[in-house]
Amino acid sequence: MGNISGKAYALTILSPIKNGIVTGEEIAYADKVRDLLQSWNLLPNSPMTQVPQTYLCRYFVLDDVYTESLPGASVLDTFADLLPVVPDAVRRRILPKEDHLKSRYLVFSSNFHGGPAGDVDGYLRGMWNAISGQIKQVWGYCYGFDQVNDAASFVGYMKKCQLPATLFFVGANDEPLPEQLKALYLKQEFARFAVENQGLEAAVLRANYHAFITRVAPTNLSGPTWEPGQYRL
Amino acid sequence: MSNVAGKSYAMNVITPVRSHLAWVNKVIFWTALKLPSTLKGLITLSLIHYARWVIIGKHQFPHLAPEQPKEALSYSYMLFFSNFNGSWDQYVDSFTFAIPSGLDMFWKWNIRYPKSVALTPFHKYIQYNQIETLHYYNGYPLATSNDVKSAKTVKDALIAFDQTAHEGTDATFLKRYHTLLRGLQHDLGDMYPTPIVSMSAYQVERRTRWHASQLQANPLKRGQQ
Repeated sequence: MGNISGKAYALTILSPIKNGIVTGEEIAYADKVRDLLQSWNLLPNSPMTQVPQTYLCRYFVLDDVYTESLPGASVLDTFADLLPVVPDAVRRRILPKEDHLKSRYLVFSSNFHGGPAGDVDGYLRGMWNAISGQIKQVWGYCYGFDQVNDAASFVGYMKKCQLPATLFFVGANDEPLPEQLKALYLKQEFARFAVENQGLEAAVLRANYHAFITRVAPTNLSGPTWEPGQYRL
Repeated sequence: MSNVAGKSYAMNVITPVRSHLAWVNKVIFWTALKLPSTLKGLITLSLIHYARWVIIGKHQFPHLAPEQPKEALSYSYMLFFSNFNGSWDQYVDSFTFAIPSGLDMFWKWNIRYPKSVALTPFHKYIQYNQIETLHYYNGYPLATSNDVKSAKTVKDALIAFDQTAHEGTDATFLKRYHTLLRGLQHDLGDMYPTPIVSMSAYQVERRTRWHASQLQANPLKRGQQ
């Protein structure tokens, strides 16, 4: 299945946003969704920090499908664009057709640790349990979301909005997020330890090393470690 | 708008594919999936965290409620999502220079795809069809993809080293410690925050600084709070 690569999972959600205007606010539902998502950018950190196992994720609103392009590399394009004798009707036929969506879509794309079996249900349950308030706000303007009232119905709803990835490429790591955060913490701390302890007597270095290991506790994932989404040292 | 979170950039590109050829595109991706050697070029681009391609058939846009109008499209659409380190130009150029044929293979059936070489038409193709991200979250904004990979190497090596750290003389310990450092010399290094981690972090920190400066300028306000 294209959604799974190793132990990482690619979740792609397109939720259709209602057509129309929020009563009393004179703002389209899609723009309200956009506003809410933008407001997350002004918080001290993203609400997604609370959703377990999220490596990287994004939200945007797909207003329409559109394409803008230069003449392509095909023979017909080249002839049509370069030869002034080509009649306009032929020229237009070669141009891409104009497509428009009838709804705008909330796009949520997440890369997370789902294990070898790709536990998308578990991830979505975790998401609901962590940030159901924000989910209700953002998805509340989408078609079909009025049936969602608990974790199970949220999982069901999201699966109806899910699209399969045709190809998922993992260039980083598919370990659980707490493992990765601990590893990053250790890398940072050990690099500093190595610099600060250069050229010491073997006995002193050894004592310092044991103190260092006691402090950083390499196998303890609960701490000390980096927090999800931590952007300052 | 927030295409940047720490050291990662979120790219979203949507391009139309002729519906009757979308299956050819899917077969190409399926082959890439079954023969990982075809992705060797992508693996050399170590600046990528995660990337994915999603082909949406013209009748496959989710339809959730009877009152939602059904889509009537001429084309199928290919969505491309990438999470990478560095700038937009560095990323797009590295694609062109490292895997031009692979790139052409994936986008070949897209309407008016100009091919990845020459560079300028390809830049314009991506610019024209890219959609800005509204909210981008990164679980480890201080780290690059290479940091994530090397961190695992450091953690595993350190845990293995520590299992025998109490054994032998101090001189033996020192020798083994130096061996550990030599083995990890490509994996160690400080991870400093980028000047602007994200627009949100930037705004939050700017507000914090502003409030601090206000309190400093008007100490009375501090008492009133």
